[in-house]
Amino acid sequence: MRISALIALVWLLAGGIALADCRVHQNELVLLYGTSDDPDVFVWDSRFRLRDYEGGTFDQMRALLPHATLVRPGTRAIVESCVANFVQSKYVAQPDDAIGIVITAGPLRGERGWVIGSAIRELTKRPRQ
Amino acid sequence: MKSRPSFLRVPGALVWTAFLAIVLGIAVQGAFATRANIARTFDQQSRIVQAQLDLEEILRLQIDEENSVRGYVLTRDPSYAVSYARQYSETAQAFDEKVEAVARVLAEQHLTAASQTLEDYVSLQSNWRRKIAAPLFASPHTDVGGLDKENKAFSDYENRTAAFIRSELAKQSDALARSTQEQINRDTYARAFWLALFGLLAILFNGFRSRLSSELEEERTTTEILQRAFRSEHVPLPNCEVGSAYLSASSHLAVGGDVFDVYRLSDSLAMVFIADVSGKGVDAAVLTAFIKFTIRGIALRRRDPGSMLAEFNTAFAQTVENPYLFVSMFVGVLDTQALQFRYASAGHDSAFVRRAHDVQQLQVTGPVLGVMEEPFETKTLYLEDGDTLVLVTDGLTEARSRKGEQLGERGAMDLIGSSNPQPQKLADELVAQVKALEGNHTRDDLAVLAIRVHEPGGFDAN
Repeated sequence: MRISALIALVWLLAGGIALADCRVHQNELVLLYGTSDDPDVFVWDSRFRLRDYEGGTFDQMRALLPHATLVRPGTRAIVESCVANFVQSKYVAQPDDAIGIVITAGPLRGERGWVIGSAIRELTKRPRQ
Repeated sequence: MKSRPSFLRVPGALVWTAFLAIVLGIAVQGAFATRANIARTFDQQSRIVQAQLDLEEILRLQIDEENSVRGYVLTRDPSYAVSYARQYSETAQAFDEKVEAVARVLAEQHLTAASQTLEDYVSLQSNWRRKIAAPLFASPHTDVGGLDKENKAFSDYENRTAAFIRSELAKQSDALARSTQEQINRDTYARAFWLALFGLLAILFNGFRSRLSSELEEERTTTEILQRAFRSEHVPLPNCEVGSAYLSASSHLAVGGDVFDVYRLSDSLAMVFIADVSGKGVDAAVLTAFIKFTIRGIALRRRDPGSMLAEFNTAFAQTVENPYLFVSMFVGVLDTQALQFRYASAGHDSAFVRRAHDVQQLQVTGPVLGVMEEPFETKTLYLEDGDTLVLVTDGLTEARSRKGEQLGERGAMDLIGSSNPQPQKLADELVAQVKALEGNHTRDDLAVLAIRVHEPGGFDAN
């Protein structure tokens, strides 16, 4: 019992809520880049709003826009957390990850938020502190 | 007599051709059906592919419009506004046509959800033009912050709907291909099954027929050997010339029981007879042997042809159990010194005497043998020097031309009258005439026995 509790604690400290199924891991350095048609990326103040945006009708999407920040493609960030298969987009069969990031460059440096997994381009691994 | 089921006598070539026709029909029909299925699927798939291309074109037009808006938002360069206006005016009609074409294919394929999504997309596109593009270019100094995000939301939504429609079309295309493949497989297995079945049946039937033909050929050979063995050689008779000929029927089943004999009873007397057994085949051939030797035995005791037939009739009834067998027979006793011919005929109407070129038919004097107990009258014929007795079987009178015309007794008599008077040549000519008349399909056996008499001392048989 004690051993199980210890393992759980170590896991939480080491990776937080990052899951093994996620395409990126905590502290990984990434670039934000949307689709090739429209490479800007929305950074959301909540992963639930991210999910609602991706799964909603257009009117629902528009209503959520005040909770998002539009960042330019190529914005650097570090992964803080990841929830695998959290986002189910309307009309898209496969679910996607919700990824918590901290922007590390540009005018929005230091801002935190959530982006969809498909808007992440892996760059390098950041050594653990 | 051995009898065979009538269906086995159907000409083999006809049955074989029918089998082949069925097999070929199945193969050809299957090939056309498969071709039609594939053509139908290709047509549907090509329409789906065209719809996919149209969809991509719709997106490209939309992206071009959005890029103009995005460029204007970022740079405030008026050339983007000009570009947008030109694009819109030039491509609006093409956009509508593409949308209509895609909608048509989605409806044809019963992709209801995708059709609804396309409608949403078109409605959204219209809203985007009305709510974002038009106000922006109408009031260049509008705050662009909110528009930028809305533009992005439009773009995201469009991408999703386009991805969904694209995915539905691809799935439908895959389903069509899969369904066609399954149908081709089913058709192939079904055709293979039927081809194998008919092929096997044809092979079995052919094998059966071959065996049957082989048996019939064997029987024909046996029959002919028996007939040759029991047929008389020419026995030299004083003051007489004797000729004979025999023509076997071309059909295996028609070779049978024609028999004749010339049997010398004393220095001046000879028994001659010709008979036709109603049956065919080996059994009939064997029966001819019975007839030949029984008549000879009777002739040694009796000299009256009518009595000979009566005694033979009794012996025949006691010996042959088959009620469907009967024999027509002509028996005569020829006195070669007195040139007297006494004869009796049991239903055998193909006996003639030729005098110069005049031919007379010799009367039937009783019923065929094996039918009833009746007395047989004996007739006497006085012959002249050069007269020829011509005894034949019904293979002559019933010979038919290829048009189906029967020679008949009159035709037979004409032939006999016009043939060479030398007995052997006469016999050979009659056979040749029947062959010429019937071609390669001689329907019945034909036996010919011809005896020309001469005045004593006027002819040396040796």
